Amino acid sequence: MTQDSDWVALVGNPNCGKTAIFNLLTGLNQKVSNYPGITVEKKEGTVYAQGDKAFNLLDLPGTYSLSAESFDEQIVSDQVLSWAKGENPPAVIVSVVDASNLSRNLYLTTQLLDLDIPMIVVLNMMDQLKDSSQIEIQKLKKELGVSAVVPISAKMNWGLDALKSAIQKSLVNLAQTNHQSQWISQDISDQIKLLIEPHFSSSKFAAAHALRRISRNESLNGEDYHIEAIRNSILELGYNTDTLEATLRYKWIDGILPFVQPKIRTKIQKETRSERWDKILTHPLMGPAIFVAILYFIFQSIFTWASTPMDWIQAGIDNISIFVLSNMSPGMLRNILVEGIIGGVGAIVIFLPQILILSFFLTVLEDTGYMARVAFMLDKSMTKMGLHGKSILPLMSAYACAIPGIMSTRTIDSWKERLVTILILPLMSCSARLPVYTLLISAFIPPITVGGYFNLQGLTLVVMYFLGTVTALMLAKIFSRFIKEKSSSSFVMELPPYRVPITRSVIRQVFIRGKLFLVNAGKIIMAISILLWFLASFPKVDSSLTDVNPIHHSYAGKIGHAMEPVIRPLGFDWKIGIGLLTSFAAREVMVSTMATIYNVEDRGDETVNLREAMRNDVDEKTGVPVYTPLIALALMVFYVFAAQCMATFAIVRQETNSWKWPLFMIAYLTILAYTGAFIVYRGGLLLGYS
Amino acid sequence: MTLIDLSPGEVGTISNIKGNRHLQNRLVELGLLSGTDVRLVKCAPFNGPVEIKVRNSYLSIRWDDAQLVELK
Repeated sequence: MTQDSDWVALVGNPNCGKTAIFNLLTGLNQKVSNYPGITVEKKEGTVYAQGDKAFNLLDLPGTYSLSAESFDEQIVSDQVLSWAKGENPPAVIVSVVDASNLSRNLYLTTQLLDLDIPMIVVLNMMDQLKDSSQIEIQKLKKELGVSAVVPISAKMNWGLDALKSAIQKSLVNLAQTNHQSQWISQDISDQIKLLIEPHFSSSKFAAAHALRRISRNESLNGEDYHIEAIRNSILELGYNTDTLEATLRYKWIDGILPFVQPKIRTKIQKETRSERWDKILTHPLMGPAIFVAILYFIFQSIFTWASTPMDWIQAGIDNISIFVLSNMSPGMLRNILVEGIIGGVGAIVIFLPQILILSFFLTVLEDTGYMARVAFMLDKSMTKMGLHGKSILPLMSAYACAIPGIMSTRTIDSWKERLVTILILPLMSCSARLPVYTLLISAFIPPITVGGYFNLQGLTLVVMYFLGTVTALMLAKIFSRFIKEKSSSSFVMELPPYRVPITRSVIRQVFIRGKLFLVNAGKIIMAISILLWFLASFPKVDSSLTDVNPIHHSYAGKIGHAMEPVIRPLGFDWKIGIGLLTSFAAREVMVSTMATIYNVEDRGDETVNLREAMRNDVDEKTGVPVYTPLIALALMVFYVFAAQCMATFAIVRQETNSWKWPLFMIAYLTILAYTGAFIVYRGGLLLGYS
Repeated sequence: MTLIDLSPGEVGTISNIKGNRHLQNRLVELGLLSGTDVRLVKCAPFNGPVEIKVRNSYLSIRWDDAQLVELK
């Protein structure tokens, strides 16, 4: 939160439906902090309630406890620690609890109760209970001593208005809290008196913090004697100091639950519907086969379903440039608009449908609980390659974009496996490479059928994705040999019951992804398109005096020509050189760069068809085509490997907290890209292709 | 007897958890206290992770870690 006004924190276990509640409460009034240069990914939103004052809501990552294991959980425990020290704490904490699994979900709630910040407990997934009277709401409220307990169902969309007004109400009368959780036993609290730190605003939180320090055996300056002595005396009382906090809290929770849900007796023997589904979905043979089929279906649909809306967008862009051309008088402004902005930005907007479809599938797979099963099935093979079962979600997200992929590695609790996952992620072909592949394939690869079934264009695309993925997995194995583990790796993961995703939440999630793509990519691309237009258009040369195209004499032309000696061995010319340079901002800029260059070069009034322009481009002196299928292939291979997206390396710098790893990545990816393209081009020439 | 000695579908009661502090703490935080009932749901092939049910939630634990969960 930027301002110090009253704000509300939303916390809860993973899989408790917290994100859905956040999406439903804030609607589209949310912002996910910008990728480059942030410290923590923050999801903030504003909630508007009828007739009342709006309030700000911060969605914290899902966590099971405040004693951090993974990076994601560390974010939450660091935040909570700062609140406990009185640094901009929330006015109200909303703790989301899965009503069908009270005992484990209340664990985090009791940890937050210690803060003595007014709290509202949200009982989500009430629809999962056989009978909503199974939980005695008033008793729970009394036992915990919280401001309110609100039963809701995000799925059925009921109870959200009651939740809004409960939050409003507690924001208006911020009364003294009266939290009841007496989880710490007297004998323990006698022992730890010496460890209570005075800077915490709540004594209960200070006690809990002391216990966490005892279990970590972590001393403050020169207090080793205290910690050791206190540890020993607690051990003498018959407690296990490693698990002290958790044991005491569960004792307290297990003590109140019979009053709160007298009718529920957890029967762990009973086989649930999810288990019956799992008999097929995680079957040793059928499971992996189903997963491959799902992947195939997703990639297939990205290309087939997206083609129609992509045609519409293309038609829209064409109409806009025709409109501008016929309504503006010729001049520099019109040129910037048509050749620079509409040409450049239009070349990117066209990929929105594909990004939306991919995010839709990933969101659905995650929300149904299927991704956790994939992690379960693949953990063994992933570990063999130096990765982690939980690497599967980052790897798949990276097909959309490496940045959310890198961020989602935060759930991996082993530092080494997390780092290896981050290092290889840029090799997964992200959607920004799709424009480049699509352009080159449609321009240079003939749409013929090979082997009876396969369309050569589609096959080429699959080969590019495959090349990146296989290289990534091989490198993971190599990297993991050279990286030392900081802490021991564990793989304890929840397998949430299969659930039907909440349509409105999924739609909002996808919408927000799309918005982020357009806004972030759009800003960079708009700026580069304008800059490039200037570089390609100036200095002006009187074209009547020379038969060479004036773009050669432009600044862009000079830069490109200067690069040519380095990239010539790969078959690339100066135009591609400029494209490679601008790709460092973002890969898809390659396409808009080429579009801008050809538009300027064309000197005509209409926007040129980039595909045609590249195909028909011939050397002005020799008349030989500038680009051949072989060059296109080499260029695609270059894009499979190359380190090109600034934002990726900015985020790696932030996530690994050092420049060492992003620089290492840039180095290895560049070597890989140059070698790969060199082998394809030179090898192709040797084999007699052109 | 440990978790992996159960056959799928069988229920046992936790008596003790061995292993490093991180693992112990994580498992207890997720509700695997001594005295808690746990059911082995399934094992992934080739000594992959095992799925257990405890306190109405399903958890996946690596084979090596599951060996450290002792039962009564």
